[in-house]
Amino acid sequence: MAYVRVEGAVKYFPREDGSDMLVLDGVSFDTKEFGITCLLGPSGCGKSTLLNAISGLERLDYGQIKVMSNDGAAKGQAPRLGYVFQDPRLLNWKSVEQNLAFALKGMRVVQTEWPQRLGKYLDLIGLTEFRHQFPLYLSGGMRQRVGLARGLVIEPEVLLMDEPFSKLDQLTARRLREETLGICDRLKQTTVLVTHDVEEAAYMGDRVVILRARPARIAEVLENPLPPGRRDVDDAQFIQFKKLLLQSVLQLMERDKVSL
Amino acid sequence: MPPEEKTLAVAADPLPLSSEGEALAAPGKARPAWEAARTLALRLGSIVMMLFLWWIMTLFFPPSLIPHPIDTLMEVGAIVNTGQFLSEMGATLRRVGVGFAVAMLIAIPLGILMGTIKSLENLFEPPVILGLTMPGLVWAIMAIMFFGLNEISAYAAVAITILPMLAISLWQGTKSIDKDLIDMSTAFHASAWSKVVDVILPQLISHILAAIRYGLGLAWKVVVVVEMFGFSNGVGYQVVRGFNIFSMKQVMAWAITFLIVMIVIEFGIIGWLESRVTRWRPRIDAWRR
Repeated sequence: MAYVRVEGAVKYFPREDGSDMLVLDGVSFDTKEFGITCLLGPSGCGKSTLLNAISGLERLDYGQIKVMSNDGAAKGQAPRLGYVFQDPRLLNWKSVEQNLAFALKGMRVVQTEWPQRLGKYLDLIGLTEFRHQFPLYLSGGMRQRVGLARGLVIEPEVLLMDEPFSKLDQLTARRLREETLGICDRLKQTTVLVTHDVEEAAYMGDRVVILRARPARIAEVLENPLPPGRRDVDDAQFIQFKKLLLQSVLQLMERDKVSL
Repeated sequence: MPPEEKTLAVAADPLPLSSEGEALAAPGKARPAWEAARTLALRLGSIVMMLFLWWIMTLFFPPSLIPHPIDTLMEVGAIVNTGQFLSEMGATLRRVGVGFAVAMLIAIPLGILMGTIKSLENLFEPPVILGLTMPGLVWAIMAIMFFGLNEISAYAAVAITILPMLAISLWQGTKSIDKDLIDMSTAFHASAWSKVVDVILPQLISHILAAIRYGLGLAWKVVVVVEMFGFSNGVGYQVVRGFNIFSMKQVMAWAITFLIVMIVIEFGIIGWLESRVTRWRPRIDAWRR
């Protein structure tokens, strides 16, 4: 498996008037290997830009991002990255199964391997009985599951998730968080999850990277004291960790005068 | 009968079992048969009403101007029985079909390129708009002058008349596609071909179907004009023949055969196609109470 090393990432966006706006200001960190790394920061701080840079959808102006194999050497080109978006972004004219196959085709997975892969991940994410359904006949939670399955079916070295639960209702989000955490833990899946939700970061993140806003800089990197299986919302240690995160984020927002 | 077909096609898929908490919207339930019967009755009723209005007019005009509906329908029967229908309509359909296919093959890539590449949009916008403004009659005359009185001029006239309209509709359709899905397909390294076939074209389907319907309407008009100019077969030629012997009955009978073919194409072929390619979309029930 692998982890991501971000080194001195700098990114400018052009403004309307032609000047440049600094979005990423020398961001450097390593993600956790075999675990979930949460990028936590206020809305609009550049978290998603950072994630897009890791995925290659966005090019950096300076710095580099490497996917490292576990012996520490940089991997060759084109690491396999899975992506789960905020909206599921499914191809509504394709069935659940065909949506996963679309990702397999894109990642050039040999076709003989498809049935086994599809079967395994549809089962893992609880989609087997819906495999022939079209997405528009599914609920929002089920659609996001399909998005998750599509990210995982290509067996990525790193799974990138961009606020994947933020558009779901509270109960569905909660349940999907639990399941995602369990699945990622079971698969030993290296994952980067972007969120602005402190509780989500405390629950999902083995490592939490707190970002300062506009431009994004690293403020703090915290390790979760609890292993995935022991994160209970009522646990005293969990509540303590959550408070710690919340305090850091609030302090930063105060210092950077981030208005909501 | 597109709506009925759509419902059946959806119901044929395995129904989702609503599972714990995450219940699902069930696909459109099969509508009761009487509703289908009502749809059919309404459609037949509208035809009967038109025939009735026609009959009323015969009371005020001589048969040379408004022939009796029954006489005219008998004439249609005669046209079909003598085999004239097949040969003449076949010639016309071939001209429309070839011209249409050529226009479509050019318009789909052109429209997608115009919708996705800014410089090509700027380059092709003026000719497309100009082409749209040009009357079909002018294209028909120019095609005949250029190619002479042969099949090529009919194909060319049909193709060039409908091409701008098809291109505009695909160009505008492409501009309205979901950019997020393109990003998604980029993130999963989809090839350019796969982006077109799996991501862009399916989003253009309703634009393409609308373009086909409108394009066919234009194509019929042009092909009849071309045939009038001196072809020796085709529906247009037969209409002119009716005009030359001043037989309104003949003119109307040929027009009706035309309508029959249009109905078959619209409700049979295009409706069937539409229900096949939009199976994934839940039925819109805007006015249900």
